[in-house]
Amino acid sequence: MKLEVTNLTKKYGKKVILNNVSFTFEEGKIYGLIGRNGAGKTTFFNCMNRDIDIDSGDFKIIDKKIEKNLEESDIGYVLSTPIVPEFLTGKEFLQFFLEINKDQIKKQKTIEEYFNLVKLNQEDQNKLLKEYSHGMRNKMQMLINFIADSKVLLLDEPLTSLDVVVQDDMKKLFRTMKKDHIIIFSTHILELALDLCDEIIILNNQKIELIEKKNLNTKSYKDKIIRALKDTRND
Amino acid sequence: MINALKLSLRIDFNYAVNSFIYMIKKTPILRNIITSNLYEKDGFKTFIRILGVICTSIRLLLFRGFYFIIIYNISRLIHHNTSQTFFHIFFIFSIMGMFINTSILSTSRKKNISILLFKMDAKKFILSHYYFSLIIDFILNNIFLLMILSMLKVPISISIFLSLFSLLSKNTGEALSVWYYQKNNQKLLTEKIYFLIIILGLLISLLPIVDIIFSYRIILLFTLIFGITATPSFIYLLKVNNYKMIYKKINALSFQMQQINTEQSVRQFMVDLRDQDREINPKKLKGKKGYDLFNTIFFERHRYLLLRSSKLFAIVSATLIVITIIIIIEYPKDQLLIYNFLKEHISFLILLMYFINRGEIVTQAMFFNCDHAMLTFNLYKNPKVILELFKRRVNTLIKINLIPAIVIAIGFPLILSLTGRVAVLECICIFTLVIFVSIFFSVHYLVIYYLLQPYSREMKIKSPTYSLVNVATYFCCYMLTKIHFNSILFCITVIFFTILYVFISLRLIYKKSPTTFKIK
Repeated sequence: MKLEVTNLTKKYGKKVILNNVSFTFEEGKIYGLIGRNGAGKTTFFNCMNRDIDIDSGDFKIIDKKIEKNLEESDIGYVLSTPIVPEFLTGKEFLQFFLEINKDQIKKQKTIEEYFNLVKLNQEDQNKLLKEYSHGMRNKMQMLINFIADSKVLLLDEPLTSLDVVVQDDMKKLFRTMKKDHIIIFSTHILELALDLCDEIIILNNQKIELIEKKNLNTKSYKDKIIRALKDTRND
Repeated sequence: MINALKLSLRIDFNYAVNSFIYMIKKTPILRNIITSNLYEKDGFKTFIRILGVICTSIRLLLFRGFYFIIIYNISRLIHHNTSQTFFHIFFIFSIMGMFINTSILSTSRKKNISILLFKMDAKKFILSHYYFSLIIDFILNNIFLLMILSMLKVPISISIFLSLFSLLSKNTGEALSVWYYQKNNQKLLTEKIYFLIIILGLLISLLPIVDIIFSYRIILLFTLIFGITATPSFIYLLKVNNYKMIYKKINALSFQMQQINTEQSVRQFMVDLRDQDREINPKKLKGKKGYDLFNTIFFERHRYLLLRSSKLFAIVSATLIVITIIIIIEYPKDQLLIYNFLKEHISFLILLMYFINRGEIVTQAMFFNCDHAMLTFNLYKNPKVILELFKRRVNTLIKINLIPAIVIAIGFPLILSLTGRVAVLECICIFTLVIFVSIFFSVHYLVIYYLLQPYSREMKIKSPTYSLVNVATYFCCYMLTKIHFNSILFCITVIFFTILYVFISLRLIYKKSPTTFKIK
């Protein structure tokens, strides 16, 4: 499976954020999307998720030579600040989600099995989501996207401000998920991107560009990424 | 579609029940009684759920009843032919509602949760709720129309006809708004047109004053038109398939962004300083040091924010007083009417002072622009510092609120004395009453701010006790307006109570605030 972005352009008034962006993402890989503040990473995600109108461009999913437009249901969008229905308990949230989406979920597991995946115990399951910590909410948000099994996962700085244990749990979850998915992971932390991602892409000068590692060691690769990011014509 | 509606109502009730339990768990006394995890207890939740259904039904009935009572009373007031006028206003209000009260293209927390988080089928969710609301509207309209029409001695069969008109017009309005959005990628009504419709609608609905009343025939004609458009509208709404995309675009900034925006706008409103307030006149700071200087800088920098509404209230009050004085002088025969009205409403002064008091805004500004940052320093948490600042702040807050209070305190007895029927002692009492009530509210808001410190970093009120105290304060003020007393006795009681309250609360502040004044 491939996700093909072709000639994507997005402007806010006269300001061009994305200019004729074309890129192909492949299944089984985690892409680290890096860009400077205000480069347009979230705008890129919002365009894909159809949260905002685009000026031009196409998103196509190509699976076994069958081409179709990327649909909203193909995407799971994980925000850095997890949004959850605050006055439901974790268990209620999951129960309702499973009930609503029962026809779409293949091989449904039990609620306990799902909670075990993200290591949330019985007591936490019966707490209001309002009372969950940031990390726990993040786990719930990831779990929902894991269950929805969307082909493309957009992760907007999902590990920011999580403790190291939760970060490690989440990384493991991403690595498990990447097999049948395309995961695009935006972050400001270069070390995290290098540790988790299979490919590093940068959003610079309104374009997306792959930074190839080839035979470089980690330090030289890092330098190459930073050099590419510094090459900003319209900063 | 019915299943989608059932499921969504279940989520809604669960949400409401949990919110209720959460509130109970945060309420003093009750939180000590309830220890177990009530969110797990199905029996208790079912009980609350039934209670919730009853409360929601009562709320719906009250709101709709209120709507019809207003139309009925306006009709009675503006024209002798009440029934015709009632139909006229109901017709105009329904036409207005057709444009301004569309539900399909509205955004809400409930829609965000169901469509975006639970990934519910947007079409099923939106349409099932829409049809459900139409049915509820039809039933509620019929209940109240039947009551009013029987009072007006009009054949009650007209009730069905009017409800049908309202339902058909709403259906056409909804379809029109969705069709326009699909065609133009923007909502039918901009903010300006929205308000224009309201103003125009209100003006047309008042036409019976000049004897222009829409006849039954016009309503009948429009019912026929909407009857014809209803079927294509209904089919069109069923044919639209991209409700989710429409919703996402309307909700462009998404649930998260909405929250951030609200917080940011609060922040913006609070932090924004006027350029001229950035520079402080050095004379005002001369000789001041320590926390006196700190407090002066804070208030001088926030002059505009803190003083603008107090000044506005003072100007409005002064204008009204001058107008009343002119009326008294120009129309001496109305003196008795004005005198009787004011005399009967002395207790309303308490409610008026409650509404014009800026205590809540000032404490919000204090917290957001100063205390939430300063309370992270240990130096600022020192009990002596807290008390010193409290004293300075209470003085400043009293001064701010006294600006409109003095105008009212002088104006009200002045009007009474101009009517020539009031003793000097009574005038003095009323003057003192207004001043004391103003002082009372200034102290009250600052005291509850220091004792309960209700705000979180995000400017959300985190303390249910604070909300409870605010509701109780309003309730007490409101109840006072319902009781009629001898004005001198009333004034003396209020003055005595204020002195007692200030004394007790200051003692409490000295004892408790060093432990209660902290970031939640």
